[in-house]
Amino acid sequence: MTARESEFAIEARGLVKTFRTARRRPGALGMLRALVAPERVSTTAVADVSFSVGHGQLLALLGPNGAGKSTTIKMLTGILTPSAGRASVMGIVPYRERVRNARNIGAVFGQRTQLWWDLPARESFRILRDIYGVADGDYRSRMREFDDLLELSSFWDTRVRHLSLGQRVRCDLAAALLHDPPVVFLDEPTIGMDVVVKEQVRLLLRDQVERRGQTVLLTTHDMTEVERLAERVVLINHGHIVLDGTLAEIRTRFGSGWRVNATLVQTEPATGRCPPGLRVVRQDGARVIFEPDGTDGVAPPQALKRVIDRYEVTDIHIQESDLEDVMRAAYLDDRADRELDGELDGETVA
Amino acid sequence: MRDVQELVQGPGGPRRGDARRPDMRVTRHGDLRLTRWADLRLTLRIVALTFRAQAEYRAEFLLKVAFGVAWQVSIIVFAAVLLGRFPGMGGWPSDAVLLIAAMRMLSHGLFELFCGRATELSTIVQAGKIDAYLLRPLPVYRQVQLSIFPSNALGDLLVGVSMFTSAVVALDTAWTPLRVAYVGAAVAGGALMEGAIFTLLSALQLRLPAGLSWSRWVEELLSTFGNYPLKILPGVVNGAFTFILPLAFVAYFPAATLTGNTSGLGVPAALAAAAPLAGLAGFVGSRLLWNFALRHYTGVNG
Repeated sequence: MTARESEFAIEARGLVKTFRTARRRPGALGMLRALVAPERVSTTAVADVSFSVGHGQLLALLGPNGAGKSTTIKMLTGILTPSAGRASVMGIVPYRERVRNARNIGAVFGQRTQLWWDLPARESFRILRDIYGVADGDYRSRMREFDDLLELSSFWDTRVRHLSLGQRVRCDLAAALLHDPPVVFLDEPTIGMDVVVKEQVRLLLRDQVERRGQTVLLTTHDMTEVERLAERVVLINHGHIVLDGTLAEIRTRFGSGWRVNATLVQTEPATGRCPPGLRVVRQDGARVIFEPDGTDGVAPPQALKRVIDRYEVTDIHIQESDLEDVMRAAYLDDRADRELDGELDGETVA
Repeated sequence: MRDVQELVQGPGGPRRGDARRPDMRVTRHGDLRLTRWADLRLTLRIVALTFRAQAEYRAEFLLKVAFGVAWQVSIIVFAAVLLGRFPGMGGWPSDAVLLIAAMRMLSHGLFELFCGRATELSTIVQAGKIDAYLLRPLPVYRQVQLSIFPSNALGDLLVGVSMFTSAVVALDTAWTPLRVAYVGAAVAGGALMEGAIFTLLSALQLRLPAGLSWSRWVEELLSTFGNYPLKILPGVVNGAFTFILPLAFVAYFPAATLTGNTSGLGVPAALAAAAPLAGLAGFVGSRLLWNFALRHYTGVNG
């Protein structure tokens, strides 16, 4: 199947990745036992993960540490071969046709560089230009573009080993995008960056998706990044997909949706005189946060009116649920489900 | 809905392939690839750049070259002392023994230059570099070899070439074109056989960091026993260096063929003469096994 025939840029169907290791027990006896009769355990890093990403979409793959995000990306980039299931990127099975797949993708693993450690970053760009066969004119215009957005020229003649983490990841991003790949994988691309540089990177990614139509799969722990960039979110935990949907859908399902933040004139406890349909989430002196109590389906404008009618306020506004809270609620919901099913261990003794 | 092809190509203008470079060819899948010549030029450019990067740290670079020289010279000194004390080593005359040592050292220098990074692969694996290599459309084994310029190989080669020249001059034989061709093939075959041994061990390092200790031990074995006629060793050890760790094929068998010392080799003379081919076959086999191990690579940190 060619990229043109493929409906999706990225497809994962029932992906499973299991690692087999020897379980080590503490103490000298445990060590001897491990030598004589090692106990083999299978750790499932990714279990039955299925999702697809359309051409020109930016999808955020989220989850706590060890959830299986990086392993999923490694299977989609051809670094790892799945234990079961199937993956396809631009119609190519990445772990079967690694070289062909590599020409279609760009990837940044924030923790590790893909540049030549001992060479100036610009030399790495030139080598990559030749590896991917980028025409000179395209190369020059792409580098100008990256320099405008990421301010690379101030440090691209420095050896990679001497760059700061933020500078290095910016160079890695440029290197990953240099050959203008249709699909880009970014595993924590803004790790270690200050807020200004993070914003530069976000601008670049937006530009890649909106202007150049690139498909981006992003993992991050930065919820601001998710809110700014992602149209769709896939939440993964313990190797399973917890949910897959737009940010709005996720907020509706796991967040209270909105809250009323009010600053009252009086500092008396607001709990006793709470307006109908609302409850107090938190009170810190005169500052009170209300949320709907679910009894009458109150809408945000009505809630504002009810608070103003009940109290004397100096400031009031509606705040959408914090995305981190929403994610936390989703993880906790998943955890509760798994505890009920007794699936939390994740390791099976072979 | 936007046309899929437009999305793939992007609305921002021409993309890959629209401005095709003259050094690109189209594969049967319709993909663009570098021509073989451009591929070779790219490899040489990376070598030149990594060499320049090493040479810029002058003191470190010179120290590495000097290390290569010192290592090989210490082996020569030890061999010279042994030859001085026991001139008829296993019935071999001194000039023939010198040829074994010279061929092995030159082969070793070539191995270090072209495949030497295989020896310490686990450090590359632990640094997560294999993941990065798998993302580039180049063979991973080649990227491993191009990861750093082997400055110490220059020292190895310097000593190897000097010693090889001395040994060839000292050897009392007629250098017919056939013999010249054979000695060239034998040196290349020796480098390939050493490459095969360490490529095989590096396949182990792709999975197990402990493979590094084995590689270092085998390196010690090769430099300790590789410079002498193996017939001086007990039969079991001789057999082990022929059939388990095929050290005999690196320089001993080819030197035996060239000097006519073919008695007591433990294998038929024809097999000993085919050592260069054995090196080639061993290297091809080890590369296939390496690729197999790479397909089962499990990465670092999950």
